Amino acid sequence: MNLKFKLITVIALFFSVVAFAQEAYTVSGVVTGASDNMPIPGANIIVVNTSRGTSTDFDGKYQLEVSKGDVLKFSYVGYVAQTVTIDSQTTVNVSLAEDDNSLSEVVVVGYGARKKSDVTGSVSSLKKEELTAFPVLEAEQALQGRAAGVVVQSNNGGEPGAPIKINIRGNTSINASSDPLIVVDGFVGGTMPQAGDIESLQVLKDASATAIYGSRGSNGVVLVTTKKGRSGKLVVEFNSTYSIQNTANSLDLLNASDFADYQNQIRANQGNTTPYVQGDYDTDWQDLIYRAGSTSNNQVSFSGGSEKVNYYASGTYFQQDGILVNSGYERVSFLSNLDAQVTDKLKVGLNLNGRMSKKDGVSTQSNGSVTVGGDDVVSLAMRFAPDKGIYNDDGTFSTNDLIGDEVDNPYAVATQRDDDTEIEDFRANFYANYEIIEGLAFKTTFGLSNKNEFRGIYMPRTLAVTAGRGLDGRAIMSEDKTKTILSENYLTYNKEIGKGNLTLLAGYSYQKTVRKGFYSEGTGTISDSFSYYGLWTATNLINGGSGDIYETETEIQSQFGRLNYDYDDKYLLTATVRRDGASNFAENEKYAIFPSAAFGWKISNEDFLSDNETISNLKFRASYGLTGNPSIGAYESLASLASIYASSNGGTVPAITPNQPSNPDLKWETSYQSNFGLDIGLFNSKVSLSLDYYNIDTKDLIMVDRGLPWYLGFYNDQILKNVGEINNKGFEISLNTRNITNDNFSWSTDLVFATNKNSVTTLINGDDYFQNGAPSYFSVNNTAILREGEEVGLFYGYDYAGVFQGGALPAGTATLPGASAGDPLFADIDGSGDITNDDQTIIGNPNPDFTWGITNNFSYKNWDLNVFFQGSQGGEIFNMTNVQLNNGDANTTYDYYNSAWTAASPNTDQPRVGNNSFREISSRFVEDGSYIRLKNIAVGYSFPTEMIEKLGIENLRLTLSAQNLLTITDYSGLDPEVNYYGSAGDNNTASNTVRGFDFGNYPTVKSVSFSLNVKF
Amino acid sequence: MKTFKILMLLIMGLSIMGCSDLEEEPVGLLSPDGFFTSTQDIQTAIDGSLTHAINEEIWGRKLSIALMLRSDMVNLQSTQTRRVEMDTHTITGDNEMVYDPWTRIYLGIAAANNAIAGAEDVAVDEAVKNPVTAQAYFARAFYYFHLVRLFGDVPYIDTPVDDIGAASSLSNTPESEVYDRIIADLQWAKTWLPNTQASRSIPSKGAASSYLALVYLTRAGTSDMTYFQMAYDEAYEVIQNAGTYNYALDPDFQTLFNANKIDNSIEPIFALDYNNVEAPDNAYDQISPMCGIRGDDGWSVAVPTMAVYQSFDADDYRTRVSFQTEATINGTTVDFTQFDISGHEHAANQPYMAKYSRYPGEFARGSKRATSHNYSMMRYAEVLLIAAEAGVEVGSPLALGFLNEVRGRARNGGETTNGGYVEETVAASAVPADLGSITVADVLEERRIELAFECKRWYDIKRRQLGDQVFSASGYEGAKPEWNSAVDYDTPIPQDEIDRNPNLTN
Repeated sequence: MNLKFKLITVIALFFSVVAFAQEAYTVSGVVTGASDNMPIPGANIIVVNTSRGTSTDFDGKYQLEVSKGDVLKFSYVGYVAQTVTIDSQTTVNVSLAEDDNSLSEVVVVGYGARKKSDVTGSVSSLKKEELTAFPVLEAEQALQGRAAGVVVQSNNGGEPGAPIKINIRGNTSINASSDPLIVVDGFVGGTMPQAGDIESLQVLKDASATAIYGSRGSNGVVLVTTKKGRSGKLVVEFNSTYSIQNTANSLDLLNASDFADYQNQIRANQGNTTPYVQGDYDTDWQDLIYRAGSTSNNQVSFSGGSEKVNYYASGTYFQQDGILVNSGYERVSFLSNLDAQVTDKLKVGLNLNGRMSKKDGVSTQSNGSVTVGGDDVVSLAMRFAPDKGIYNDDGTFSTNDLIGDEVDNPYAVATQRDDDTEIEDFRANFYANYEIIEGLAFKTTFGLSNKNEFRGIYMPRTLAVTAGRGLDGRAIMSEDKTKTILSENYLTYNKEIGKGNLTLLAGYSYQKTVRKGFYSEGTGTISDSFSYYGLWTATNLINGGSGDIYETETEIQSQFGRLNYDYDDKYLLTATVRRDGASNFAENEKYAIFPSAAFGWKISNEDFLSDNETISNLKFRASYGLTGNPSIGAYESLASLASIYASSNGGTVPAITPNQPSNPDLKWETSYQSNFGLDIGLFNSKVSLSLDYYNIDTKDLIMVDRGLPWYLGFYNDQILKNVGEINNKGFEISLNTRNITNDNFSWSTDLVFATNKNSVTTLINGDDYFQNGAPSYFSVNNTAILREGEEVGLFYGYDYAGVFQGGALPAGTATLPGASAGDPLFADIDGSGDITNDDQTIIGNPNPDFTWGITNNFSYKNWDLNVFFQGSQGGEIFNMTNVQLNNGDANTTYDYYNSAWTAASPNTDQPRVGNNSFREISSRFVEDGSYIRLKNIAVGYSFPTEMIEKLGIENLRLTLSAQNLLTITDYSGLDPEVNYYGSAGDNNTASNTVRGFDFGNYPTVKSVSFSLNVKF
Repeated sequence: MKTFKILMLLIMGLSIMGCSDLEEEPVGLLSPDGFFTSTQDIQTAIDGSLTHAINEEIWGRKLSIALMLRSDMVNLQSTQTRRVEMDTHTITGDNEMVYDPWTRIYLGIAAANNAIAGAEDVAVDEAVKNPVTAQAYFARAFYYFHLVRLFGDVPYIDTPVDDIGAASSLSNTPESEVYDRIIADLQWAKTWLPNTQASRSIPSKGAASSYLALVYLTRAGTSDMTYFQMAYDEAYEVIQNAGTYNYALDPDFQTLFNANKIDNSIEPIFALDYNNVEAPDNAYDQISPMCGIRGDDGWSVAVPTMAVYQSFDADDYRTRVSFQTEATINGTTVDFTQFDISGHEHAANQPYMAKYSRYPGEFARGSKRATSHNYSMMRYAEVLLIAAEAGVEVGSPLALGFLNEVRGRARNGGETTNGGYVEETVAASAVPADLGSITVADVLEERRIELAFECKRWYDIKRRQLGDQVFSASGYEGAKPEWNSAVDYDTPIPQDEIDRNPNLTN
């Protein structure tokens, strides 16, 4: 059916083109760029008001049949179009001026490209210069503060190789992923190439732009286009960067003697008269685990091309020594693009991308599940007793065994524990583009990708608490392999109809992804010398559950289409639709349809504005559409059995029991998005301003209903239902000004500003939904809450009301049982006279009021300066680190030590020191997390061409830059960019709802970088 | 030529895309579709059903201890509300000793339904597969029998649940109908099960038959002569076939509670076979510490009253086997008058139960948890006593003989301890002497002594409506002022379950 239909369409289109003859002759010529006189290959020449036309070849040459009186229009992306009227010339050479009006930029959209001025959706674009303005490990990091409405954050501060989370316009889900879809050179779900290989990057933000990606469009789409070769001679480019890094911050912690005094104060407060025996050492644990780190990045690329073929090939080696002892990362990556014009009408190309990386991990911000008391280096270094040394007298590593839960020392954990992650990632994507007839092109792409991730963790016996004492070593190995094939086929048709211009797109896509892997853990290895490879010798092998050994297969097949109709360069209409069918969708809901429509009005092209001196551009945009989040895991809607332990006749036997029923009506989550935008250009586009307002209602959010009657007999009584609703609305500003432009000096400014306000509309049964942002050994729950009508992820706990000064309780407050003067007071919410779970309430909001970034670029002759500030305002942080440090069973900060209540100095808002089994989750630990950060300052010098020409060098540039040099914040912890997910660990639910918690982050780093760029 | 190229391209594109039906065919997932291909698969599903009974939520602790506390023989030493409610008959809808057995029993039932439905997919002769599947019928009856005795009317499901909506709004099935289904399942099981199995933890024909006898006896209540006759006939049939089924009283009563010896005994008819593994999800037993002495691996939670101890004949070998009169508390060996030297608030100076803590065999977890016991759910002595009780009701001349056979075994003595942990052989004695005549009360008293602390007593009190008598001031635990025979024989269905399905009512 499909095939037949398409063939008929193609054949019909063939015959619809009617050729007509007339008196004509051939004109020829060369199209060049005005500034460099270089030929422009691929420039378009059309005979105005006809469908005739051609393109220049690789030498910029063209030939075209013309008649006298024809008007030829020469155009090329990035250049100002020219028209020439044919009189009787046989040669027409045209020199096109470069267009510095950014509106002529072409932006890549799904399955095509549009002139920026014709885009009706909300799209942020980044150019290659912005991506490489300062050294980053992952290109995602370069997005931070540069695209309005795009929040970028490392999952773990400055950890080498830490995953980077991107959030576009808030998070639209609770339990499903809020990560945007990454599309690399058309490959849906690709891995981001390294920054130096990226030509441009587009962030699609509204439904008009993303609905073409259907069930995967809800969280926005990042489209990446890699560099391609240009015809001409071979260009070799070498980029090298070396950075020196240090931790951006450390805490001011008690030294050994103050620590002993602190412990004695605690004892005195508890009526314990036995003095604390101070140890013989005075160890600065933070100093021991931090070091000067470094990164180096070296990239070589070769590009060029002949008439018919062009190529780009690049290789990059990145190496990092982390600022935590024993942490590091290295990666080698390759990318190549090959394009060949096989015939006039057929173009084929191949994109290859490969990378291998290895990460040496150090345990940080652990969820606390491995040992009682945790095994994460950063928080251990803060709390570990400073009067202990690294080693005991017998040469073994010291443990903190006098106060609190016994833990291994941070230096031991950092140096003894192995944690290797190795990732290999390869992708190949082939395309063929055939111009069937004028204006109608068929493109087919076929891609493969394969990603393997291995992780091995070994905790040796030398870590007495974590893996010694009867455990005898703990080994973990896991492997995850993902294979994807993608086939996409689409037709694009372009036709001018009078004053109108019509573009149609119709396509079919099929994608299949297979994942398989295992996880295995064991204790009791034969020897520490085998590291995690000793797993097979483990005497106690911990079998994985059903989720630990898996194979899943998902298929998506889709039809998609788009209509663009522009009338008179004033009115723009875009409509898209995608129908996705997915294997992981439940039986009764296999297919989903996602439509969108958008309207654009170029007001500045209307007569009443066309001659306006001030307003050079004014465009209004409005869009509405539906996008989806697939949300349902493979097999998640199917009935399943559980394997359970059973004994029979004195032995263990295999046994099954019904686990869950099928859930045939489970649906994807859908976002209903509207977007209104205004693009304004003033003073010949010296000032360009984009304003966007959006509203996203996400419905059918999948939530767990613990509501199946037990008598149904399912092991898992949690059934998933499409009930939740969340709203995100926000306002975005992008401002670009070219403040000064003259021969020697230029100054430009880019500003982005975004607000996002989310609110929880509907939760299952209207019940509050709790998450835990504390490590598991804190034995607290419910530190983050979702509540109908409130923002997502608010902090939940006791409302701290200052210090109890003894005597009568201040009105409306109460204390924990047995409190005396100096202990904390809390708001007695339920008026019961004591503090219980019922007194917990909302105590803070991690969601910022707004985020922003501002870049100033200055250039003077051959010098340039880039200054990039970035910030976040109004979000709060829950300082889980201080919950631990101020709890008495650990070392603490001088801040707390010096300000804690004592009978002698009772005028303080910090309670007296004490050792509480109760980990206080209260507003006392909620702090303002606003910050302003000098993300980058870079000075560059480009050597004058005349100086280096003789050396055969086309371009030589040196840059000295510094990152995170300055941070202005009131936050008392290490760094205001926090991301700790608590005991649940990093999963979708936690990353959507557990925000603003700080505990044991790998610190953010300060770095000074030196870069060299040479082009031959 | 041009057209040809286009066609080539189109075909190339289309051939890659294929056309998928998007059906999921999971490999790594345990899916009920296609799981059942052999009789071993049926057995795997049956083992999934039976094993729920060993869980801490049923026999491992929650149900077993609840049944002890609700009887007139075991007192509560600790103070947890859920246990107090059991002991004082003030059970509320959110008592987890109700909730947990309720949920876990239904897991067992669903697993049995899964096995029965799955067996239909196995393309094997009925003669081959039915003897296996019959275990699932037995398991389902075993679970519903507990439910119906505990709760009365309950939701009854006997197929895998496909229509969640309909199943989630079921109403209770009346008690009498649930009994009919239990009887039908046991009859099917009896028809197909083999006479003997490799282990007493695997249901056999005799197990189905013995349970049928008990179900009939229970259904007879205090007066239904038809069911008394059926109970008698069924029990008598088991006794007549004792050779075929390989059943006999164990010569040494202690063996039944000695995990090191029980495997060779032929008295158990159906047993829960624990195997000293600290299995995940609490799939092991914790009865021993619950009944044990503080300082001697016990938590001193469920303890017989002094009156119960005194109601046993001191010279009856079963008294020695049933009670712990000496213990080694934190290293010091003392008799029960000093059990409180542990200093624990729950310690009591009276004999404790011994059936669980004395010979637990190998155990995997401290405080004698995760033991190797085989707990008899049904043993031959009970069959004899069923025949005796029903026999009295229907006027069988054989009834007295069945009762005396049980008493006769107790006279054998055997290898036990001194009441503490010193091994001792007790010689045969004249106690308990044979009775010369028999009444129903005699049989019930014999059950109380013979089956003491084996979680049978509460069900006996309920079926014989003895509550007003045994929970009065003259009862072994003294007066239970909150006992109300109008409501307290039935356990309330958990409130959480009623919240999930308001059509359920108590």
